[in-house]
Amino acid sequence: MKFEEPTSDNLFDRAMVIGKATPRIDGPLKVSGQAPYAYERHDVVEDQLVGYPLGATIGRGRITAMDTEAARNAPGVAAVVTTLDIDPLEISSFNNARLFGGNEVRHYHQAIAVVVAETLEQARHAAEMIDVTYEEEEGNFDLEKAWQNGLGTDEADAETGNVDEAFASAEVTLDETYRTPDQSHAMMEPHSSIADWSDGENMTVWTSSQMIAWARKSLAETFDIDEDRIRVESPFVGGGFGAKLFLRSDAVLAALGSRAAQRPVKLTLPRPFIFNNATHRSATIQRIRLAAGQDGRLTAIEHEAAAHEFEGGGNEENPTNLTKLFYAGANRRVKHHDVVLDLPESSSMRAPGEASGLMAFEIAMDEMAEKLGMDPVEFRILNDTQVDPMNPDVPFSDRNFVDCLKVGAERFGWSDRNRKPGDTRDGLWMVGHGMAGAYRGAPTLTSGARVRLERGHLTVETDMTDIGTGSYTILAQTGAEMLGLPLEQVTVKLGDSRFPASSGSGGQFGAASSTAGVYAACVALREEIARRLETDDVRFEDGNVIAGNKAIPLEEISADAEITAEDTMEFGDFQDDLEIGTFAAHFVEVGVHAATAEVRVRRMLAVCDAGRILNPVTARSQVIGGMTMALGAALSEQLAVDKPRGYFVNHDLAGYEVAVHADVPDQEVIFLDTLDPAISPLKAKGVGELGICGVAAAIANATYNATGIRVRDYPITLDKMLDRLPETF
Amino acid sequence: MRDTIRFLKGGQVVELENVGPTETVLDYLRLRCRQTGTKEGCGEGDCGACTVALGRLVDGKLVYQPVNSCILLLGMIDGAELVTVEDLALDSKLHPVQAAMVEFHGSQCGFCTPGFVMSLFTLYHAHGQEKSRKAVTEWIAGNLCRCTGYRPIVDAALDACFDAADDAFSWRANETRELLQKLADSRDVFIGESDSFFSSPATLDGLAALYGQHPDATLVAGATDVGLWITKQLRDLPKMIWLGRIEGLERVESSPSGVLIGAMATYETTEEAMSDLSPDLGVLWKRIGSKQVRASGTVGGNIANGSPIGDTPPALIALGTTLELHSSEGSRALPLEKFFLDYGKQDRNSGEFVTGLFVPRPSSNQAFRCYKISKRFDQDISSVMGAFRFTIDDGTITDARIAYGGMAATPKRAEHAERALTGALMDDPSTWGAGMQALLSDYKPMTDMRASAEYRMETARALLAKALMEISGTAPDEIRVLAIREADNDRAA
Repeated sequence: MKFEEPTSDNLFDRAMVIGKATPRIDGPLKVSGQAPYAYERHDVVEDQLVGYPLGATIGRGRITAMDTEAARNAPGVAAVVTTLDIDPLEISSFNNARLFGGNEVRHYHQAIAVVVAETLEQARHAAEMIDVTYEEEEGNFDLEKAWQNGLGTDEADAETGNVDEAFASAEVTLDETYRTPDQSHAMMEPHSSIADWSDGENMTVWTSSQMIAWARKSLAETFDIDEDRIRVESPFVGGGFGAKLFLRSDAVLAALGSRAAQRPVKLTLPRPFIFNNATHRSATIQRIRLAAGQDGRLTAIEHEAAAHEFEGGGNEENPTNLTKLFYAGANRRVKHHDVVLDLPESSSMRAPGEASGLMAFEIAMDEMAEKLGMDPVEFRILNDTQVDPMNPDVPFSDRNFVDCLKVGAERFGWSDRNRKPGDTRDGLWMVGHGMAGAYRGAPTLTSGARVRLERGHLTVETDMTDIGTGSYTILAQTGAEMLGLPLEQVTVKLGDSRFPASSGSGGQFGAASSTAGVYAACVALREEIARRLETDDVRFEDGNVIAGNKAIPLEEISADAEITAEDTMEFGDFQDDLEIGTFAAHFVEVGVHAATAEVRVRRMLAVCDAGRILNPVTARSQVIGGMTMALGAALSEQLAVDKPRGYFVNHDLAGYEVAVHADVPDQEVIFLDTLDPAISPLKAKGVGELGICGVAAAIANATYNATGIRVRDYPITLDKMLDRLPETF
Repeated sequence: MRDTIRFLKGGQVVELENVGPTETVLDYLRLRCRQTGTKEGCGEGDCGACTVALGRLVDGKLVYQPVNSCILLLGMIDGAELVTVEDLALDSKLHPVQAAMVEFHGSQCGFCTPGFVMSLFTLYHAHGQEKSRKAVTEWIAGNLCRCTGYRPIVDAALDACFDAADDAFSWRANETRELLQKLADSRDVFIGESDSFFSSPATLDGLAALYGQHPDATLVAGATDVGLWITKQLRDLPKMIWLGRIEGLERVESSPSGVLIGAMATYETTEEAMSDLSPDLGVLWKRIGSKQVRASGTVGGNIANGSPIGDTPPALIALGTTLELHSSEGSRALPLEKFFLDYGKQDRNSGEFVTGLFVPRPSSNQAFRCYKISKRFDQDISSVMGAFRFTIDDGTITDARIAYGGMAATPKRAEHAERALTGALMDDPSTWGAGMQALLSDYKPMTDMRASAEYRMETARALLAKALMEISGTAPDEIRVLAIREADNDRAA
């Protein structure tokens, strides 16, 4: 099926199941420990061995020798495969850093050997015995230096109007530089795989992946084998946030170990290994210039940024992307430098580009509003746009950002705040209020599904994944809605390459795309049922198919043999002529301790515009989860780079500090009642990444309002404010 | 002598003959029992995904505590009831905390969920907890989640955890108590051979004899540090002696003169007595690790492992704590600060072990303050830890005891500053300057990821000033980093 034009009125506008607050259907499995994650699938294949990885301890150079004799002779060891034993593996089209093979070390903790043994302890012990000799080379690990050298060089990525003239003649201007640090996904489940490639022919990988089809394609390219010989399963994923979009070393090492030992091998990346072996969000440095008239209308915007990437690319953290679209303004120039560094590969993490871009841009907007003497909410409303400002012929399909701002301001009590910075006290706490806008695109990807109706029970099969997002539940809701069945009569099976390929989970495209895929398959099933009844006028209600004036139970229709249908939703080119996005306004209250500059967030409110909300329960969780991740980004998360040696120093959960319970205050989410007919038949856009966008800047702006101290260098730790605190308590 | 360990699981007594010296409870569950509901998220007690509940009799009452099974040794559950996420649902009917986690959408990707469920299970069985958001966040501070943003989990806890327990565990509590009483015996446990064993002596003499025979053995109390030697440093520790069954070592005795703390007393069991010594100690205690860590970890262990950034030694040194050591040769006592000789080196002879400590109660003319500085409020390691006790007579400091952690290779007293402040006047800040200055010659801190040397020194001096200001009343009563709990109270007021 092809989605060729915006949706008109359809059954989802009179939905019985979609849009209803429904607890996740996989909840009982998860709370009782019965949901199987990759590393614990003891039942899928017998005789599993355990693999353990060895990582390089230099940032760049060569391996000249590896002595594995002791390891090979250690108790329980079945196989040792070193990077010198095999030719460099192909770099798949989804990867940039080579995952294994050859003598070249390109980043710290690059996998250089896998030891396979009967137990984890034996494998780990033997891995420690491998003696590696390196020839270390000087690497480049310093983004700041690259920024200083690169600032102002290169052509603009996009430019409209006459930016220089607009700045020269502007009544009010701003020119500031902002910094965001490297960040880690830190999902709770480490990268894990069981691989069976015992015969060297057919490969099965039980893994933890957001994208089944991509994983399979990457494995085929990496090992240069036919895709048909590979099966990938990942029914439960313990979080991803982008970390599990692409093939990683766990699956590769498990497969190599399995081939060498001729037995299935399971392997998990130890937590302290993940931060440097796998991917992260790149740090950014961003210079933002704004120009406006006294009336508050933006006349020019310039945004120049740098982030780092692995040689060959892969970095999606382009903070200037959103700047092309978010606000009005006739003159605009954006430029992004992807600086090649020898750090581990930077890659997608929740809202790549927008997350760091809005951390900076929405502080700049706050600073500009202050210069103009305007309320920051009013300033944003004034500069709203309903078209792509750089291509005014391209409208937004459905943009209700102004409503987000207005509803949020009212619900938060924004007008009651003290606009004067550093002027509100609550005991020893300086209290401040801040807000920020948020924008994140709403892409869609081709997505397929198969549905089976047997004795009135519908089974949905698709290789879509549920990474904590709620896919199981919203796909069941979609199937139930389409066939007029109660939710209990729908089973959803996910994450298996034997099922039709879906969009997968990522980029905020999963919910919109995969529900559309299930819709397409259900349409095909309904047509098949209509064909059997020799009519083209059917409705599906209360477990019945209604043809003319006759109601036939679906149980009866599918009593003898199951009826199956399969289809894939493709999204038409008409979407290219529209900007389809999601929007939010965030409001935050913080307390900053007058003596120590400790920042505590006291309450948070998000108002979101994301089309139809398929399930208010799962959607709300996605947004407050994003807000909490952004709270960590604002106040504590930072991978510290050891610049001489080229690695992230704080590579465990003790050193990389995500938000904990006590950091999280009252949080509320309001979804605007909007529909976007241009996105899909369900008129629903994703929210998984919207929740992290803009929030950190709202916290930064609230901190400024509390203290009068502007911090432009995340995370906002107390050492950055301590010397500017008020003299007296 | 017993060559097995025994514990309860699912209402049955489990007896194991084969227990490795470094085998963890998590490995036992996942590898031996194939009960994989309990997850490993980090392997070092940071994330709480591996949380299980241990039921033990405390003064005859059945108490459930959350513990990190990834760093808990299997032998250490001897005599306890082990409860995992698989044990809660009854004939496929979810336990109230499980049902609430579903209803309030407290589970998303689900990987941290079993750990949360078990922490909430222990809260469900804890009696007399104040029903509040802050009580919940404190209870589950040791469980990290990256999906939900925590709020739905707290909501689930508020819904499910504060009514009188009414589940299979409460129904059979009497039976469980009887079974646990039967399991408690006074035999030494020794499993393995003389070159590789797990052992838990039942008496002090038994310990002295065994340790005298095997001075190379590892002594373990709560395993919140030793567990990491195994899972993170990958150390080979073939001989393990657990102190947890020696009668009397868990004692906590408060008297007008001070608090006597046995080597096996945990942070949890000492919290009340320490809060009573000083409110600052109460705040410090709450900020050590997490609920899981405080339930397992001991004050004695925090001292005996000799860490330069341990939270309790600076405070205990400033209070003038005495340490008791024992061996087959006899007992001795020494001032705590004398115990720390150098990085990783303590004044502990071969075969000698810590049996307890005595913390003197500050007298009416003494003022005590201590402050922990770390990046995150809960679950974090100190960058700098400062502790101060001033004896003040007629407005003059007649004695000063100042100790810091994170400023040297060991917890260390600031001797120059102590001397310089002796004679200083509380109502004249100009007499404090010499003390602040003297700190510069007391310490040469290092730069690492937690803090730079400059930050450490500046903070150390600021903390000293803060203590003096608070005590002298030249500033508001408290100029300290308030806990979120206190911040909440501020707001309420």
